Amino acid sequence: MNSHHDPGGRLVVRLEDVHKEYGAARALDGVSLAVHAGEAVAVMGPSGCGKSTLLNMIAGLDRPTRGTVEVDGQDLSTLNETGLALFRRRRIGMIFQFFNLIEDLPALDNAALAAQLAGTPARQARDRALELFEELGIAQRKDSYPAALSGGERQRVAVARALMNRPALLLADEPTGALDSRSGEQVMDLLIDLNQIGQTLLIVTHDPELAGRCAGRLVELADGRVAARQSLRLEGTS
Amino acid sequence: MSAARKPGLAGPVLAAVGPVWRAARGAVRRRRVQTVVLGIVVFCSTVTIVVALGLLESVSAPFERVFAAQRGAHVVAAYDAGKVSAAQLAGGARAAGVKAVAGPFAQAAVTIPDSFEHLPPGPLSVTGRAAPGGPVDRVDLWTGRWPARPGEIVLSRPPNSHFSFLLGVTFTVREGSTFTVVGLAGSVSRSGESWVTPEQAAALRPGILQMLYRLDGAATDAEVRRGTAAITAGLPAGALLGTQSYLTVKRDANRMASTYLPFLTGFGVLGLVVAVLIVANVVSGAVVAGFRHIGVLKALGFTPNQVVAVYLTMVLVPAMAGGALGTLAGGLAARPLLDDVGAGTFSVAVSPWVYAATLAGMPAVVMLAALVPALRARRVTAAVAISAAGASRSGRGRRVQRLLSGARLPRAVSLGLGLPFARPGRTALTLAAVVLGAATVTLATGLSTTMTAYGQAAQRVGYVHTIVQTGQARQRETPPRHDDAVIEALLRALPGAVHVTADAWIDLHLTGYPEPIMGRFLRGDSATLGETLVEGRWLSGPGEVVAPSAFLGKHGLAVGDRVSLSLGRGRAEATVVGVTMDGSADLIQADWQTLTALAPTQKATQYEVRLAPGTSVESYNAAVRAADPGLYPVAKSRTDETTVAVIGFASVLTLLLGTVSALGVLNTVVLDTRERRRDIGMLKSIGMTPRQVTVMMVTSMAALGVAGGLLGVPIGVAAHRLVVPAMADAAGVTLPAFMVDVWHLPMLTLLALAGVVIAVLGAYVPARSAARLTIATVLHNE
Repeated sequence: MNSHHDPGGRLVVRLEDVHKEYGAARALDGVSLAVHAGEAVAVMGPSGCGKSTLLNMIAGLDRPTRGTVEVDGQDLSTLNETGLALFRRRRIGMIFQFFNLIEDLPALDNAALAAQLAGTPARQARDRALELFEELGIAQRKDSYPAALSGGERQRVAVARALMNRPALLLADEPTGALDSRSGEQVMDLLIDLNQIGQTLLIVTHDPELAGRCAGRLVELADGRVAARQSLRLEGTS
Repeated sequence: MSAARKPGLAGPVLAAVGPVWRAARGAVRRRRVQTVVLGIVVFCSTVTIVVALGLLESVSAPFERVFAAQRGAHVVAAYDAGKVSAAQLAGGARAAGVKAVAGPFAQAAVTIPDSFEHLPPGPLSVTGRAAPGGPVDRVDLWTGRWPARPGEIVLSRPPNSHFSFLLGVTFTVREGSTFTVVGLAGSVSRSGESWVTPEQAAALRPGILQMLYRLDGAATDAEVRRGTAAITAGLPAGALLGTQSYLTVKRDANRMASTYLPFLTGFGVLGLVVAVLIVANVVSGAVVAGFRHIGVLKALGFTPNQVVAVYLTMVLVPAMAGGALGTLAGGLAARPLLDDVGAGTFSVAVSPWVYAATLAGMPAVVMLAALVPALRARRVTAAVAISAAGASRSGRGRRVQRLLSGARLPRAVSLGLGLPFARPGRTALTLAAVVLGAATVTLATGLSTTMTAYGQAAQRVGYVHTIVQTGQARQRETPPRHDDAVIEALLRALPGAVHVTADAWIDLHLTGYPEPIMGRFLRGDSATLGETLVEGRWLSGPGEVVAPSAFLGKHGLAVGDRVSLSLGRGRAEATVVGVTMDGSADLIQADWQTLTALAPTQKATQYEVRLAPGTSVESYNAAVRAADPGLYPVAKSRTDETTVAVIGFASVLTLLLGTVSALGVLNTVVLDTRERRRDIGMLKSIGMTPRQVTVMMVTSMAALGVAGGLLGVPIGVAAHRLVVPAMADAAGVTLPAFMVDVWHLPMLTLLALAGVVIAVLGAYVPARSAARLTIATVLHNE
């Protein structure tokens, strides 16, 4: 895969000696990480190694016990809850293993929601969502409710929602974990395409194939620490 | 399992119950918030129900209950001791229709001297009776003991510790005997003012023999009259001095309680309905919210019956605790309210059946409310239960959400507006509670407005500031130095006086009626007294009277009719020109010149003074006392007891019902938040701020609040329209239209907001909690 990052370019994620403890349990133990603009990084490791905790720190969903988390130049420790929400709204897009779509809203409104929360008028938000749906190949499913969509379609809706506000960083938490292999392939291709047009990606996964196909760099966690870092050379890279 | 090792029947039973109890206990611990909310709701609802039932029960038949307990006398008869013998009275007691009899009790009259400060001076009836009990009229000796020897006396007083100081007091009557008060008692039959030993009564040369009868049939005045005629049929002419029917006593005693009945009925019914609705909502919500847990239990091997048992046990634990504490607190809360209902006439307490009904009934309501969803849980398969754990989706909810998503509203608001449609059943129950809460607030506000207006009119607030009475020597007061006309002139001349009206209160007769009536005759600035008229006009000169509607109704009179008044040898004719708001059935008011025709030498007994704005009542009263030490000025009271009591009731009940309604809303938001944790987490992950989450959740209930206000206000207004005239009828008062038509647009608009306030108050705390929801775990693991 072509990871479209410029090694000397803008730093999108900077983690410096990040620790996270839940009581006596240590979820992260001095993790440092840098992700540059346009880069696609996969975070892998066994269950309980701290992958999701790491993702939560970067998304501003949780706060480190100590250490520095900077995303797109913003030190997250300086933000209160509202500031973190606005930060996520403007700079982060998230996709989840179980899609997390609102069942009461049709697909297009699910995606438009992210822009509407930011104050974009409904019509404009729907236009933007429809544009993304067309790019993602699900425009014909815009009026369907999540329950009527396949897993792959749901994840595409989730991706559209994540891209609504043109985020600096797209975080994906096991994005193919709940999909059959065919749908998983489609989502992988989608992530690759996004990265190729410059979208910075950070993917948390158990799946070596997903990491191998979508990411240019792999970070392995074990017991809350970075156990290994490696660049990936994948099929189709130039 | 330890249960399996136990022999006999206990083994299998424990084996079945043990896991159920453990699972239920685990569920209770896991859902602390839900459990606490359920317990609080049941607690508040139980308090409301105990108060409501206690009040309803006490005002519906307070006299009857006390009368039955005391085996009250249907007829109290007084005979001339010189004309009838005890043997003759015994013959009457055997008359057909007499069920029980007590007596004869000798009765004498003694006179309390003016000098004795603890008892009103004048005649006191003394009855000789060996014991308070017996087949009829079991006198309630509520403190002290019954007289055991001559010189001891029991006084009739209402059961109120306020009178306890009389115990041990000694006094000498004008006839020479000395008495020590050894007890205080009450007879619902009003059979005596005081009791002594029969020997003591005999020594006082009694002129009356009292007999107390219980009849087989005494439901109506006619039956009582027939029974009395049968009893006295064979007695010598003139032997019967008088009789008192229990129906007369009952009407008088119930008058106070009857005033409260319509109002308390309204609040009581509202309280019951709101409490049951909220409990049903909370309990069914708790079960529905636990659907996934149900699936897990089934997957673990719990039988359908065990699943039902787990869920019933889970809700019963907080329900029993809340119910027991609520019953206790309800009893305490009802006590001061019931004291007002009894108004010192008789003692009223919450009946044991109310406690029993609440203690048993509340868990039953909870069980019933839980049973419907629990039975549904029983039917579904484990897989369906697990997959149905999220909020149910209704087609209507989706349509509404879709419509709202295009609305020109902040997205948090439009999402919130759509939430109630996702769970129509829960929404309907919550809405019903808000509607009734808003109706309660409306009714209470209307009642308070009416009663405040009534109280101000009754007390003539702003019209009369001080009342000056003349000193009475019999009350050890200094008689005035000046005569009537000079006193009036003096009061006018003192700084600050604007209007002075002289009053004389006189007993007189309306020609053709044997019972005396009270006449209030006015001199001076009577037009400025601020009397409220419901019909006709105020007095403009001699030969006119105004009277309350109760008086006119009792005597078959109307505005424009002529009446003939007599006082001794004096006679006067007058025309009824107006109807006053007063509730008295025996009062007329007329000009002083009308009194002059009846009693030319009569002097004023008091003077009512209106002061100029800014004048100090205390300064004026001090000047009055300085001008003549025989004048006793008293600042006019600004409060009316009935008004204070009704507003007090209304405030307490509104607070209770408002709290219960708000708790219902709180529970709904807690359930919605719980069910929508994942949605809320997702919304936060895409940038919904904590404030937006709060706005969304509060909006979801505020919408119900608006609907609740719009529906509840008309219900409250309708209840006010029913309750106020009924209260006025019971009190014998005709209210002027402005006291009934208290509604105006600004007030109605504010009241419509009551629903919103209830909803927002109930929603805010759980909405804030939803805003602080930790989303990381929810999003990644579910």
